[in-house]
Amino acid sequence: MTETADSTDAHGSGGDDHGDDHDHLPGKYTVKRWLVTTNHKDIGILYILTSLFFFVFGGVLALLIRMQLWTPGEGLLSGFAYGQSVTAHGLLMVFFFLSPVAVGLANYIVPLQIGADDLAFPRLNALSYWLYLAAGGLFAVSFFQGGSFEGGWTLYAPLSVPTFTPEVGATSVMLALGMFVISVTLGSVNFLTTIHTMKADGMGLWNMPMFTWTVLLTIWMMLFAFAALLAAVYLLAADRIIASQYFLAEEGGSLLWGHLFWFFGHPEVYIVFFPALGVMLETFQTFSGRRLVGRKWVIIAMVLIAVQSFLVWMHHMFLTTINLEIKTIMMATTIAISLPFDLLVFAMIYTLVKGKVRFNTPFLFNLGALVLFIIGGITGVFLGAIVLDYEFRGTYWVVAHFHYVMVAGATALFGGLYYWYPKITGRMYDEFLGRLHFILYFIGFNAVYFSQFAVWEMPRRVFEYSTGLTLWNQIGTVGGFVLGASMFIMFYNFAKSLKTGPQVDGNPWKYSRTAEWSIPSPPPLENWTGVPSYESGKLEYVDRSPDGGHEEAHADHASIWPVLIAASTFVFFLGLSGISDVGPTGFEGVNTGYAAITGLGALALLGSAAGLGNERFLAPEQPYGMKWPFDGIEKTKLGTWFFLYSDVVVFGAVISAFIFIRIHMGWGEYETVGPNSMSGLLPEAMALPGLINTFVLVTSSFTIILALVFAKHQHKKGMLASMTATWVLGLTFMVVKYFEWAEKFDAGQGPSYAIEYSVYFVTTGLHGVHVVLGLLVLAFLIFKGYTGSYMKDHRAIENFGLYWHFVDIVWVFLFPLFYLL
Amino acid sequence: MEEHNYDTDATWKEVLLTDEGKVYIGVYVALMVLAASKFILFEAGIGYWGLFTGLMVMAAAKTALIVAYFQHLRWEPRILTYLYATSLFAVLLLMAAASYSIT
Repeated sequence: MTETADSTDAHGSGGDDHGDDHDHLPGKYTVKRWLVTTNHKDIGILYILTSLFFFVFGGVLALLIRMQLWTPGEGLLSGFAYGQSVTAHGLLMVFFFLSPVAVGLANYIVPLQIGADDLAFPRLNALSYWLYLAAGGLFAVSFFQGGSFEGGWTLYAPLSVPTFTPEVGATSVMLALGMFVISVTLGSVNFLTTIHTMKADGMGLWNMPMFTWTVLLTIWMMLFAFAALLAAVYLLAADRIIASQYFLAEEGGSLLWGHLFWFFGHPEVYIVFFPALGVMLETFQTFSGRRLVGRKWVIIAMVLIAVQSFLVWMHHMFLTTINLEIKTIMMATTIAISLPFDLLVFAMIYTLVKGKVRFNTPFLFNLGALVLFIIGGITGVFLGAIVLDYEFRGTYWVVAHFHYVMVAGATALFGGLYYWYPKITGRMYDEFLGRLHFILYFIGFNAVYFSQFAVWEMPRRVFEYSTGLTLWNQIGTVGGFVLGASMFIMFYNFAKSLKTGPQVDGNPWKYSRTAEWSIPSPPPLENWTGVPSYESGKLEYVDRSPDGGHEEAHADHASIWPVLIAASTFVFFLGLSGISDVGPTGFEGVNTGYAAITGLGALALLGSAAGLGNERFLAPEQPYGMKWPFDGIEKTKLGTWFFLYSDVVVFGAVISAFIFIRIHMGWGEYETVGPNSMSGLLPEAMALPGLINTFVLVTSSFTIILALVFAKHQHKKGMLASMTATWVLGLTFMVVKYFEWAEKFDAGQGPSYAIEYSVYFVTTGLHGVHVVLGLLVLAFLIFKGYTGSYMKDHRAIENFGLYWHFVDIVWVFLFPLFYLL
Repeated sequence: MEEHNYDTDATWKEVLLTDEGKVYIGVYVALMVLAASKFILFEAGIGYWGLFTGLMVMAAAKTALIVAYFQHLRWEPRILTYLYATSLFAVLLLMAAASYSIT
């Protein structure tokens, strides 16, 4: 949350409002521009282009799969290569294409729809993008590290642990996912702060355009769901790097992965689908010339779906050993979630019936998406029924169903690309080629995915099948190639139209009703010529600045640090991927080459993070507008809180893993891990290091709040002394922790010694990582305080304090759970 | 916390003994007492689950103090507290449902 720590006393150089080259931002046709830009429209374009690259990457893998399935049995690929293709195809399409292409559109369109100048934290936005790209890069590297992961996109345990997938590349895949989740978390914090605090005057939540509504709900789901995935990936990475035993454990290891993954995984379905739904709702209105029927009810239904998405996850686990009672509950909640979806579908159909439809390319894709989604939804209801799922589980029925849902989402998003292409480029695409694309796409789609319903008895991820199914598989393969080829019509169309398409002056769509169409295409760098306002009931631009100029003329739009931080993180994670040799017997040694890469990455990360913290950067402010229910909360503080909410879920999920394993083992059978030298004494004595650390950490919470009090009184010495005391106490905490851990390692009781030890090291380790990160940030803040900061603007100390107190709270629970009980 | 003018010439002692400073000192003392008095429960002879419940209640009390005063949610718009509670509820749901599923 360092984004605008010093923003109030900093500003960039001035310049004209509409030029692209002021405020240190190089011209559009230079490479440097795209490395340093923090403008939401540029970042949106980068997201869209990169996600389309990963779409082609995942698509080529899909075609390899289809070629293998041309005939039953081994063919083009070896078993290992096939496993990698299937796994990487799934992971790349879900994580690196579907969500990011939607985030790209959201980046470009949402600030324009709500009347904002940019996202709340522009540099954080750039960092999100670069981390996403770097994560994708690490994923690509995994193929060259002895092979990528081959255990399926769901990363089911125990296939995901080194005993069964020992390749370094498999670890890289896990770490790439971790990096991606960090990117998503930063993006979630950014979008939540933006949408909740930067809407124009007169635009309350009810009045937001439907695309923005779906993005808002997507981001809320992301904040909680991806935190659970981060926890899961953290545990898995620990299993792979420090040889902990979570997912190899007989105490429910595989089942634990199922719970953690699907607690994330089911909301993820809606996370992927909601932005697509938003595009459908926008285009159905624009191309039918009719306001959405039942708009308020549609919003309520979507909110219900977002909440319900967290209550259905065990329908992915009907074939595991979970009890029948919980399966029945999850079946009921699953059927229940289809009800608000029914409302959405009928609202969309009724909107079209009431309107006068124009069959332009964006509409065709979205209508197609609706048809495909209805098929995907209905076939999914089968899987929600326990008894039917016993039969369908792990078959091509599931593959066909979720492609009809997920790729229906992609279909709507392609429609979105056509819809907003004139907005982004200022030129119109070729309508004939667009319609041709749709026809071939729709035929190819149904050939490849409907044929999968026909071969529903085939087990998924296996290329052996009975010869009687060859024809259907060959239809699928032909369909796959038609689908893939049709995409090149779109790429050609977009590339050609960029130069030769008719110029668009603002709004090419007669009945569009959202704010992005009210300004030139493409919009100027700072979007608006005045302050957008809906106070009068329609969009107007009001002049509120004393000198009559644009309020945000001096906002910055360029920073080199996000790309450098992401590059450093890439090096750091690349090093981690091979830093340890973990064999069947556990940890076997450190790989010095990879260790050196890790160290290099860590140093570069420290340097680039300090560079970002030290940079003077003015993000756009939005003093006007509707902020309910977050009125009066300063934006960096709000961003810090959003981040902490996700961290609650990260820690909560890791502690849940502990509770789950302990219950699975038998609560009383579980041996609480205490310091060795004191074992045999009273429980209170066993816990002495933990108790000392409790006092240390509580005291450090007290000193950091004192630092804030001193800062408010501009008492520099008091502030610095309190901050330094906090730092020393934090260091003391880690030193005590070091001795506690070292004692165990000396006794040969590392993370792989027993499941209790895995849980102890990994959970207290996650807390330790938080303390160390806090210490690094605090050292920087002390330096800044020493050189004169925070006397007038103490937000950085306050926000750091919020984080530090949270770390303290976590320890308040870890101490009794891991030392006393 | 509400904005007001701070005395920028205050001494160390004066800063610590402002109303705000006193509240934080009080909360700190309460937290230390709660942390230390955990061990009284061990002598209370209330059995394992009595101890478990007691320790969790104490941890919750400490959390409430830290959240209300050090994270000053007492003085912030309620929505921040509700969202904190929502994220806690989400993980308690995961914990409870996952644990129940194997009973």
